[in-house]
Amino acid sequence: MKSMTVSPEPRRALVVEDDVDIRGLLVQILKREGFTVTEAATAREGLEKARAGADLITLDLNLPDGDGVEVCREVREFSDAYILMITARTDEIERLTGLETGADDYISKPFSPRELVARINSLFRRQSRQAAADVAHADERQRAAEVQQNLLPRDRLALPDYELAGRFRPSRSVGGDFYDWYGTADGLHLTVADAMGKGMGAALVAATVRAIMRSVATQPNLETAFATAARATEADLEQTSSFVTLFHGRLDAATGVVGYVDAGHGLALHVMADGSAERLPSAGPPVGAWPDQTWAAGTVQLEPGDALAIVSDGLLDIYETVEEFTEAVAGVVTASAGVEEACAALLDMADVPEVADDVTVVILQRSPA
Amino acid sequence: MEFSTQDKGRYTEVTPSGRLNMVAAPKLREVIDGVVSAGGRRIVVNLAETTFMDSSGLGALIGCLKLARQSGGDLRIAAVQPQVNMVLELTSMHRVLTPHATAEQAFPND
Repeated sequence: MKSMTVSPEPRRALVVEDDVDIRGLLVQILKREGFTVTEAATAREGLEKARAGADLITLDLNLPDGDGVEVCREVREFSDAYILMITARTDEIERLTGLETGADDYISKPFSPRELVARINSLFRRQSRQAAADVAHADERQRAAEVQQNLLPRDRLALPDYELAGRFRPSRSVGGDFYDWYGTADGLHLTVADAMGKGMGAALVAATVRAIMRSVATQPNLETAFATAARATEADLEQTSSFVTLFHGRLDAATGVVGYVDAGHGLALHVMADGSAERLPSAGPPVGAWPDQTWAAGTVQLEPGDALAIVSDGLLDIYETVEEFTEAVAGVVTASAGVEEACAALLDMADVPEVADDVTVVILQRSPA
Repeated sequence: MEFSTQDKGRYTEVTPSGRLNMVAAPKLREVIDGVVSAGGRRIVVNLAETTFMDSSGLGALIGCLKLARQSGGDLRIAAVQPQVNMVLELTSMHRVLTPHATAEQAFPND
């Protein structure tokens, strides 16, 4: 019986080279290696064809209409293709390897077909090893993501006259943002934090900070409680030379007064019932960023219909200025039917390629009179 | 991100160009570490060509400042662009890393 073989997808190569003879040679070699090959003679044409998709790109350093290094960086913005840079000068390679070009390997002209094939095979071997390692890690990351999502508060607070919602979307499977809240005798405590960086390291810091902030919940004085938590956090952060921006607020439900401390976060907004907004400035650097800091508490009065929106800096990336950002967030909060809708709308706004960071939104709103 | 380092006599000027993010942050630390190891005490990071900085980039700047101070020197920043300035102000880090208008003005004659 004949066994069925599954032929793999043909690999796509793009040759960007202005010299006709060398281009012809490259095309011939790559076709022999089983690639489907497209060609480009200029930087512009190369970029265009790279956008159509490629698994391997050979890129000449000296193109008539542009520098190969720049082309390489631009391609890297949208493509994971293996990029092999080709240069006529051996001494160029040393300079290039020191730069952040995004290229995977370099080869100098003249090259032998055998050398070129060896380089390409080694690039793709590295890729398949990487793919195997990725599968093993994916499982672990999935579990970490579940743990982190479970640390977010799920209890709906039964506070008459207030609505509360929060959303968190990490840029990778886990992230350095988190938010937390819990009910108290007078109202609630609320924390939004953003640990430096992204991924697993930041997530570990975030989980630690959450536990420390909860441990000071019973200290009645806000500034003292925050200072205690900050000292404990700093000791942990010292080891990782990391820092965390923190917003911690305490609502007195009867009066609508929120006492808060902002350590380097700077993105808490008081959105008033009439749609105007005021940003609450931070009282000092992020926790762990610089030794011997103190953070003064501030207060904000939530009148009926007012909201407190705390957003992480991921969303800020799509705005030129903090003022534009403030206006946009206030607009969404005011236009939305409720805090859940407002959170969803803000997360949608951040669902664009410019936002590469974790995104967190927490909104507390006092019901209109 | 690319870095150029220039000995200006009174100080060493380091100019990173591009995006100071998670990828570039360790490289900045390496460059500053090199300057400090070579005996540089006054360091100006010229940010005229740094168009973007994220929290990892800010972390690298803070780490470099600590390194310079630990070796008995200082590190100052100059020619800060709008996005980087926004990050410094939001985080209140401009109180620690105060921006100077130009690299020359960062260490006035004394």
